[in-house]
Order: sequence, then structure tokens, then C-alpha cells
Amino acid sequence: MSGLYLHIPFCKQACSYCDFYFVTRQGKKQDFVAELIKEIHSKKDTRYTTEIVKTVYFGGGTPSLLSPKQIEQILEAIEQVFELHPEEVTLEMNPDDVNKEYLADLRSAGITRASMGVQTFNQQLLNFMNRAHSKEEALHCLEVLSSSGIHSYTVDLIYGNPDQTLEMLEKDVDVLLGFNPPHVSAYSLTIEPKTRLGRQLELGSLIAPEDDLVALHFDLVEKRLREVGILQYEVSNFAKPGFEARHNSAYWSHENYLGLGPGAHSFWWNDIGQSAERWINEPDLNSYLSGGWENRAEVDQLSKHDLAEERLMLGLRTVQGLDLSNLEKQYDFKLNPKQEIYLHQKVKEGKAVFTESRLYLTKEGLKIADAITLDLLS
Amino acid sequence: MNNIRNFCIIAHIDHGKSTLADRLLQTTGTISERDMQEQMLDDMDLERERGITIKSHAIKLDYKRPGGELFNFNLIDTPGHVDFAYEVSRALKACEGAILVVDATQGIEAQTISNLYQAIEQNLEIIPVLNKIDLPSSDPEGVGQQIIDLIGCEREDILIVSGKTGEGVPDLLEAICERIPGPKQEVDKPLRALIFDSVFNTYRGSVAYVRVMEGVLKKGDLFKFMANKEEYNAEDIGYLKMSYEPTKELKAGEVGYVIGSVKSLQDVRVGDTITTVKNAATTPIPGYQEAKPMVFSGIYPTQSEDFEDLRSALEKLQLNDASLSYEPETSKALGFGFRAGFLGLLHMEIVQERLDREFDIDIITTVPNVQYEVKLEDDSTIDVDNPSQMPEVGEIDAIFEPYIKASIITPADFIGPIMKLCQERRGVYINQIFMQNNRVEITYELPMAEVVFDFYDKLKSGTRGYASLDYEFIEYRKGDLVRLDILLNGEPVDALSSITHRDKAYYQGRKICAKLKELIPRQQYEVAVQAAIGSRIIARDSIRALRKDVTAKCYGGDISRKRKLLEKQKEGKKRMKQVGSVEIPQEAFLAVLSMDEDDR
Repeated sequence: MSGLYLHIPFCKQACSYCDFYFVTRQGKKQDFVAELIKEIHSKKDTRYTTEIVKTVYFGGGTPSLLSPKQIEQILEAIEQVFELHPEEVTLEMNPDDVNKEYLADLRSAGITRASMGVQTFNQQLLNFMNRAHSKEEALHCLEVLSSSGIHSYTVDLIYGNPDQTLEMLEKDVDVLLGFNPPHVSAYSLTIEPKTRLGRQLELGSLIAPEDDLVALHFDLVEKRLREVGILQYEVSNFAKPGFEARHNSAYWSHENYLGLGPGAHSFWWNDIGQSAERWINEPDLNSYLSGGWENRAEVDQLSKHDLAEERLMLGLRTVQGLDLSNLEKQYDFKLNPKQEIYLHQKVKEGKAVFTESRLYLTKEGLKIADAITLDLLS
Repeated sequence: MNNIRNFCIIAHIDHGKSTLADRLLQTTGTISERDMQEQMLDDMDLERERGITIKSHAIKLDYKRPGGELFNFNLIDTPGHVDFAYEVSRALKACEGAILVVDATQGIEAQTISNLYQAIEQNLEIIPVLNKIDLPSSDPEGVGQQIIDLIGCEREDILIVSGKTGEGVPDLLEAICERIPGPKQEVDKPLRALIFDSVFNTYRGSVAYVRVMEGVLKKGDLFKFMANKEEYNAEDIGYLKMSYEPTKELKAGEVGYVIGSVKSLQDVRVGDTITTVKNAATTPIPGYQEAKPMVFSGIYPTQSEDFEDLRSALEKLQLNDASLSYEPETSKALGFGFRAGFLGLLHMEIVQERLDREFDIDIITTVPNVQYEVKLEDDSTIDVDNPSQMPEVGEIDAIFEPYIKASIITPADFIGPIMKLCQERRGVYINQIFMQNNRVEITYELPMAEVVFDFYDKLKSGTRGYASLDYEFIEYRKGDLVRLDILLNGEPVDALSSITHRDKAYYQGRKICAKLKELIPRQQYEVAVQAAIGSRIIARDSIRALRKDVTAKCYGGDISRKRKLLEKQKEGKKRMKQVGSVEIPQEAFLAVLSMDEDDR
């Protein structure tokens, strides 16, 4: 079983927080689709086609800049090369690209799940994020989505913005919950160094909000969503039972995935499950278009020990946590006495639950998962 | 009259001593153009970079006068910093003359005066030289007058030289022949050779650089060091050219090296006298002192597994630097390390930098301190060179601290800021003397502890680099001193303890707490930061518990990034020091040091 990720590198404009690979020129879209299909075909009869593909994810960039026709062509190519038994076919979309017809066409093309990049309903914050859509478009897209027949969807929300008060966030959550979404991805704003916000932070024209306040934002989102049955299952992901994202969840349990398109990441175990590779496709669109997808830009060789640490790091981010017997079986990893003492201490502090077979962080623990992971692994 | 001339160069840092020395080497043909690199005599990269001489050096120059007569010059270069005043005095002792180099753009500096006075006291013939006269800002008139006032020479005695272009160098060479007297050559007396420097050679052991004052040392002679009476065979002796040039004997008046299978540099002490075992001299050359450290600091490996590497690095440094002393010590906060003693702050900095550069060892150094004499209630006295070893308040009768006499030479415009600085540092004003060129010499008596922190830097920054400082130890004086402890979650952090004047303790305690709050990252618990004198808490702050620390997005490619970050953080964590449950970054240990002037 494996997942397929397709990176669609086009955007109308640069969001101020984004450090993903994208281009704002739209002229090469058709060339790109052709090249992507070529790349898909190149995988025929390779190790990547030995497993059943259950999830497909169109990410970006802005996949909704492609037409339903183009999406269909890509999915057709995938079907020709891979053994596709789709359980979830997700497409990320921006509110300004969405209308009733578009969604209907996507649905017939095979898209089963939408990931809607709303981020906020506050116009001021939308401006700050330099999003392409307006508050009205954000509302409109959720309206049409609710009646589109695409029942599984997620809405992205960003909290912890500079100058964002708890009241402002409360309002965003209120509006969002009015649509009764099955899934919400709520992220605290991360200011990456090479973004516009990163530069502003460096220059001092932007001040990141206090962690304490962001923690309150986090609590508010969790509480409000829980009250309506949208439950946290990972640090930034919330779903009604049964609506958890399968493709993303597969990342956290180290299932194989193949990334296609410029800058896409892939992860694949070796034949005997003793090590794995993670690599990046050629990230530059022009190089990609001239066949550069044959190059893997960065290849990480991951030993079993690396993988065990990763698994621990990822598992501690999920509400389900870690199956310790699996960790031992699959990764030869066993907690040492020092780590156990540390975890028992965390249990006492109410930050973790630690039994014979399971380890997971509580709501309080989840908020400082990075600190706990670091303590545990150093 | 003989044809040997032993002399040194007295100059302030930056006044062009090394450049002038280079020029002398070149003009006399001691070194070819091809082998010439700048600041030839400064062996260490550090010396070249900082433009200062850390160790003494000596070199023999063969000079052929225009008339054809041959002269042997021995140029004995002296260390250029107040920390090494004793080494300077020994180097001067080996000479009959001194070239006083003064930068015509800057005038005479404090330390130059102190060295100059020493030279005059030892009856050295002074050849005054004005350097850097090619620069537009030079003031040969005024600076010349300063020199005349100081040494009482005539204006025409002052030579004008450019180390840069070589102009005036031939005149200087002639002046050395004519004005500096040749050494006495009392070859019939028992041997007395003064050690003015020593170096360690991996293959040959310790090498003594000597000036033979009386008698003759022959190759193969059995000789002894008069301070410790150790006896050795003079396996190899010779002259100090660009490399060692062996000879059969070194006679009174000559300068050279002596090698005798001496394993430890500790046995070859600067200032000691070498004599032959047969027909030994009865008394050594006066003035020998043991190197006495003035400043102490803890040196700890950042990573505890580097302890043995640090030990061997210190051993190797000591081979080359007999004035460095150290002994193992343990800190609850920092683990195993050493307490090292230095001649002064610069010496400390040099050692720290060499550990980093030459041995690639990451170290944490604690705040430097002086040695205190503590009189206890039971009337006994102990020396304390580590604040954490200061006895409890109840056991102490009185604490005495070293005082120095500091003379500062500055343009008169800066008298105000300098006095303010000295007052803040508990200085006692002695006097001020106005000199030529709108310059003033200000004298203060100061507790040495107040100078070892960052006095020199403050002095420099407060006077736009113009002021110069010279100091000497005077005596121990009683002080109202207390040990200021820092506690994290109630646990004292020994490496952060300091000894301070009672009046300053409250303010300083509060400032250190605030600084630590800034430097210690938030932990999973609230951390109380306290300053205390004995059991009394005099300042308190707290570091709030970490509330949020989790990456927002962790999908496909984020995972690699996150894992790499984790690896980096693990490395960072290794460098943290753990006190109780609190992790302290290295910078915190220097928190006290890095506080701003208005923090004090």
C-alpha cells in the first residue's frame, strides 16, 4: 500500500508565510501537465508500481489552478501506470478558484476530497498573509463546497498571527463551524526564514506573537472543535470520526509514498525493510520541464535508528501515539531506562500517558511535543 | 670597546615596533627579501593578528658599517603588554641599550613610559626614534618635546625613521654602533648567564635564551640553574639567527641559546641564572621572581568527554608558557575542569584563544577573579582564588583584596569619563600630571578585581581608543566584600558565584538575575532565579514554564527538515549544562561579564 503525491507548482501570488516551491507564471501549465504525465509513465514497471496506491494527493502550489480536464488527464495516467484503488483523492484548492461547476467537474474527474485554503475569514489577516482570495470568496467557497457532493473536505485555518486577538480567532472559529466541516487543519503561524514574513521578522518590522498567547489560541481551537465533535488526532489536525486524512496519516506511520512534480518529496523503504530513502524531485520548474525529473535532488539515506527516532517524533504528534511493541518489532527500538524514567515523570506532570504497549501525549504534552521529543532523544 | 651591541626596542602596541624590527633584519641582510614576511619575529598567528608580541624573541644581526667594520647586534624583542612586565624587565636586563620608538601621530603611552623608566633605571642607553612621520596627522614637534621632557635628551638626538619605507634606518644602525656601549666582557669571572626567555622544542626539550653576563659557557659544560639547582649538560649552545647557529662557546656579553635535555619548561625560568657546576658563581643575578598569577578563571570543556583533551592541551600550552598555571577543579554546574592562573587579562584571553585555535577545544570560562586573602575568625589566613571556595560569612573575620596603581595617559578631553570610570570601580584618586600635547597622566589606586572585568575595554571605548593603561600591584587592602551566589530553583550554581563589594551586590544581583532570565531558555517548569548573600535572598526573578513548542506542519518533506533540526538541537543540548533540572546555555556563565557599564 502506498500513496502518491503530485506537486502542482503554480500560484497566483506569493503568500507571505509560504516557503513551498511555486512559480507565479501560469503560461507553462499545459507543458507541465504533459511533463508530469511523462514522469508518471516513467514509473511503469518499477518498484513504485509494486504496491497498491490507495491515496492520491494534489498539493502545491495551487492545484486548483489546473482545469478539471487536466486533473482528469493526470489521474488517467496514474491509472495506466499504477494499481490504483482510491480510498482518498485530495486536491488542495484556493477559495478564489472554486465555483459550483468546477467542483462538480472535479468530482467527476475522480477527486473525492477537498482541502480548502481558507486560513482566515478576517480580511485584515488575509491581507497580512497576502492571500489571493477575499473574505467573501472564503465564505462562498465553503457554501458551494457544502452542496457539491464532495462530502469529505478539510478547511485550513491559521492562528497565532501577529496582532490576532483571542476574540478575532473566536470569530474565525464561529464562522467556520457554521459550515459544519468534517475536518479542520489548524496551524499556528510559522515564520520561515526565507519568506516575506521571515525577512520582516529579521528587519524587526514584524514581531512574532508570544508563545503563551499562541498556546491560548491552540487551546481555544481545540476546545471549540471538540465541543462540536471535531476531535484532534494530530497536533494540527482535527476531524469528525472517520474523516481523518488518510494520505497525511500515512506520512506519520512511515508508509511508502511517491512524490511527482517539481520539488515533491518521496519516501520508500528498501526491499527488506531495514532502511529507507527520502528524496526530493528536481525542484526547478524549467529543469523539470526539460526532463529534470529524472534527477533526485537530495537523497536522505535513513538507517533503522534514524527511522525509529522519526517514528517516535511523528508518533508523539498524534493523539493515538505510539505502539511500543510495533516500535520494537519494526524498528528494533526499545526505550532505555533513562527514557522510561523521563516519561514516567511526564505522566506525573499530566503531559503523557505511558503504558506497557502505548505512549501518547496529553493535550498539554502535545503543545510542547518538540521539547519532549528532544529530551527523549538526547 | 668591542663590536657587540645588545639592545631592545621599547614601544607601545601599534607604534610600529615589529615593522621596524623587520626593517632592521632586512637592512642588515639577516633575512633575504624572499623569506621576508611581515612581523618576522612574531611567531604565533595570534601575535601577527593582534599586532602584539606575546613572547620575547631574540635575534643576532650581523651589521657591516659603511667603513667595512663588522658589528654583532643582538636585538631582544620584548613582550608588548602590561601583563608581561616581569618578562620585559628581564629582557631589559640583558641589554645595554634601548631604542625608544614613539609614534609621531600618537605620542607616548603609559606602558611605554613604565618600560622606559625601567630601562633608564637599569642604565640603558636610550636612542629615541620618532616613527610614522610620513602620516599627515603626525606631530613630530610636540611628540619630540614629550621625549625631550621624559629622557632629557637634545632634539638632535632624536632620530626620524619610517619603518614602512625604511627611511632613516641606516642612521639608526649607525647610532646603535656609536651610542650604545658594548657589553663588559669579564670572561675570567665564574659564569653567570641570565635567562631572558625560554621556548619548548618537541625534539630538543626546553631551550633557554640567555645573555652571558660574566664568564664563558662552553659546549659540553655541566651547568646548573641557580634557582632550583638542577644540573644539566650543555649539549648544544649557539647564536640565535633565523635558525639556531651552533658555536663552541658563549662569552660574557654574548646572547645565545643553551640546550641541555631539559624536559620541562618549568625548570627553565625566566630571570633565573645559569652557572657552571665547576667554578660556580656564588650569587645569582638579582631580580629573579617566580611568575605569580594575578587573575584566575575556571576553564571547563563544553562537553565533558573533552576533559582529557583539555588537560593535554593545557599541558602543551604550559610547555611554551611557563607563566600559565592550572590545577584540576570540579564544579557542580560545569563538571570537571581546571582553575587556571594568568598573569593578567590579556594572558587569559590568549590562552583561551589558543585552546580554541590550536587545539580546537570548546571551552566555558568562568568570570575571572583575583586572589583574596581571607582572615578567618580563628586568626588563620587562607588564599581564595575561586569565589565558590569563599568560607561562610560566619567564619570570616576580614577579606583583603589586591590593589593596583594604575597610570592612565589620555588626551585631556577624556579626563571626565576616565575619572567617572575609576570612581565607579572604587578607585582612589592619587593625582594627575599634565604633559606636552594636551595630554594628562592620571593615577588611581584601584582594587584589581575591578580592573580584571572589562576595565580596559571601557577605558578604550570611553576615550575613542586614545587612553593607555599601565598598572602594577601595590598591596592587599581590607575590603567590605561579599560572595554573591546565584541560585536556580533553589540550587546554587557554583560557577556563577562572584565576589563583589557589598554596596554593589544588590544591584549586581538584580542585573544578573535579569540577564539569566534572558539567556536561559524556557523550560518545562517555572525556574526561580535568585541572587543571595549567604542565606539572604537579595534579588529574585523567574523564567516562566514553556507553554508551546511544537512544529505546526509535519507532512512529506517537513519530516526530513524536522529530523535534521532535531539533530541540530541534540547537539545544542549536549552543550548545555545541567544544574538540577535546569539546563543552562554556555553564554549564561559569562552573563556577569557581558553586562553593560550601566548595569553595574
